[in-house]
Amino acid sequence: MSETSVAAPEAAAAVQSYILFGVAGTTYAIRSQQVLHIEMIDHVTPVPNAPVFVEGVVFSRGQVVPVINLRARFGFERAAITLRSRLLVVQQEGRRVGLLADESREFIRISETAIRPPQEAIGGLSGNYLEGVATLGERIVLVLSVRELVETVPNALS
Amino acid sequence: MSTSGQDRPFADGFMDDYFAEADEHMVAVRRSLMALESALGSTLPSAALEDLFRSFHSLKGISAMVELREAELLAHHMESCLRAVRQGTLTLTTANFEVLVDGVRMLEHVIASRRTSTPQPLVDEVVEKLDALGRSGVEAHRPAALTATDASNEPSQPGARARLLRVTFVPSPQLVERGVKVDTVRARLMQIGEVRNVTPTVLPGGGISFEFVVETSDASPLAQWKDDGLTYGPLDAAAAVELRGAEEADAATSQERRLTELTLTGSSNVVRVDLARLDELMRLVGEMVVTRSRLEDTLRRVEAHVPFQEWRALQDHSARLERNLRDLREGVMRVRLVPVGEIFRRMPFVVRDLARDNGKRVKLELTGHSTEIDKFLVERMMDPVLHIVRNAISHGIETPEQRIAAGKPADGIIRLGAATAGETVIIEIADDGRGIDIASVAQRARTLGLVVPDDGGLESRALLDIICASGFSTRDHADRVSGRGVGMAVVRDTVEGLGGILAVESKPGHGTTFRLTLPLTLAITDAIISHVGDQIFAVPQTAVREVVEVDENLLHAFERNELMPYRGGTLPMVRLSEMFSISAVKRPRYHAIVVGTGQTALGLIVDRIAGQREVVVKTITDPLIRVDGVSGATELGDGRVVLILDVAALSRARRQHARVITGVSA
Repeated sequence: MSETSVAAPEAAAAVQSYILFGVAGTTYAIRSQQVLHIEMIDHVTPVPNAPVFVEGVVFSRGQVVPVINLRARFGFERAAITLRSRLLVVQQEGRRVGLLADESREFIRISETAIRPPQEAIGGLSGNYLEGVATLGERIVLVLSVRELVETVPNALS
Repeated sequence: MSTSGQDRPFADGFMDDYFAEADEHMVAVRRSLMALESALGSTLPSAALEDLFRSFHSLKGISAMVELREAELLAHHMESCLRAVRQGTLTLTTANFEVLVDGVRMLEHVIASRRTSTPQPLVDEVVEKLDALGRSGVEAHRPAALTATDASNEPSQPGARARLLRVTFVPSPQLVERGVKVDTVRARLMQIGEVRNVTPTVLPGGGISFEFVVETSDASPLAQWKDDGLTYGPLDAAAAVELRGAEEADAATSQERRLTELTLTGSSNVVRVDLARLDELMRLVGEMVVTRSRLEDTLRRVEAHVPFQEWRALQDHSARLERNLRDLREGVMRVRLVPVGEIFRRMPFVVRDLARDNGKRVKLELTGHSTEIDKFLVERMMDPVLHIVRNAISHGIETPEQRIAAGKPADGIIRLGAATAGETVIIEIADDGRGIDIASVAQRARTLGLVVPDDGGLESRALLDIICASGFSTRDHADRVSGRGVGMAVVRDTVEGLGGILAVESKPGHGTTFRLTLPLTLAITDAIISHVGDQIFAVPQTAVREVVEVDENLLHAFERNELMPYRGGTLPMVRLSEMFSISAVKRPRYHAIVVGTGQTALGLIVDRIAGQREVVVKTITDPLIRVDGVSGATELGDGRVVLILDVAALSRARRQHARVITGVSA
């Protein structure tokens, strides 16, 4: 993971750090505050009768952590777990949940001014998890709400 | 209640300690109140009075520290009332005792509201009554010259002639046989004066002696107790000064209280530990066990490459490490065990209130309250036991008139007992009431569309199935006490969900007994490791009756059911591969794990059994992975999660499935 854009920590309060990760060719970001750690992953134990986007369960630092397959969550085909696959273990109000991404290598700081609310034309999502869209030069990064991602169980999928 | 923004977080940091300590005091308060109530109208036990006074005093102090004003106020007024009683200026009657009970109930409410951050109840009315009660004693008896003294001061100074005595008591088995124990001595000393301090000392020979410091103006009764292991003499001056000095700082009171409590429970050191820390310890031990099994795997692999002598030594060390770890694990597990008495302590209160509300007369008998069980289980057993006790009072025990007419004593009896049996704990709730009316249960069950055997004779298991069916109640109306018949369903689900078994026995006219059999702990369990397709599951050994081999040709299928001949009867089978949608290769022979007994027996079909081993259970709490039929997770050494099956849920799902089918055919 490489660190780009080292901004002054307190002076510019409107700048926050994010972890970037990729799922099916698109780049997403979540606040680094909510990410406990990022792990490589090899085996996930499937949990029968769990929601379809739940890949299964793993032990992460001794704790039982459910794994959400982000590909399945966002409506893509599942892909095999590779050496590049990463598990982002996030914390949401006492819960610990693993997010399975295709890859995750970047830690950046994004100014709030660079994040725009999602356009109203973006629709048909299975949850209200898209918090905003950031444009960093040429790149488009979708900023996600961990709370919505973890707490909202899409009806169609459950 | 208002406080500056600065103080709030400061106080909040203490809240957990406050709740823990307040709980302990409330337990003592309830115990003392019960003791006092049974003695109303005769001589009140001074020990209970003293304990109650001290508990209120401490509650007042700690509530003030966390700025819980309502609790402080209530405790203060109750302390004042108790002071008046102690001083003999107020006599407790059934009527004014109720005022105290109301005060305690309100105090509980206040503490509970703070704990759950819900709005505080209005305490004014209760406080007013308590205040009036406290004053009634003071004004009626206090000499005119003293009325100006602040009522909240410490109790009156002892008379000038009171002396401090050192009384030493050495218990012995002979004395215990005669009924002379440390609390007997303490009670005696309290009759002749005030016990200022108690210190237990371990004697060189391994025995123990208790040194009481007693303040009394009349030491003559001491002589008659000389044969009861008591020696006494005046307290030397230096010690007396030290004692008084300490008391001024108000430390001696709490110190003494702590010491007395300790001497009564027989231990000399008690540490309060947060359960989360124990869980963390258990987790670490679990990790060490996993590391050791990896070590053993490695050892096995290098066996061929290491000189035999060396390898042998390694093997020995590893084996010893395993034993040590087993002991360590056992030790940590033992620390989690607490007496089931925690469940029982509230019962006298509950029984008393319910009996009064229902116009019943009930005696409660408690046995085995020191039986130990995992803290986690104790907390979850509270409601089920409470529910069964409530049922026993509202449905089981008859009114005094009915009892007398039936030739029984007017007082009904509820026996609440606990005992350890191997790796399980059995809690029994028995009443000597009318028993469950089989005919009316069968009748009621039929109207609800439940299946009832035609011969009318319900064996106890079928009876349990019916009274635990959701929506079942023999009463047509829901009463305040026993609710709407959802209760027993929840009770059974809770008990089975914790890996326990609920059983009932009832004899018409003689009463009903509920038996809850629970595992000692949920943290570690022996499990059968089984494979289904490419997945591994652990099945807790406590639920397993046996493992049998299954011959595909012997299975009888009809609609969605499969039956196997088993012990002269048949056994319904469940294919885990189907239940969990796991693709499994069809084999001609495989294994089945037989779980449950009687009506709820079930065979779980798996591909093969890999063996039996001790596993560390981790609970699954996240809603995303809480599914029916899975109770927890464990690992077997490679870091991969292995799911632990919830056998009770599996057979429950099966029962519901069966009910649907029979419902259609009926």
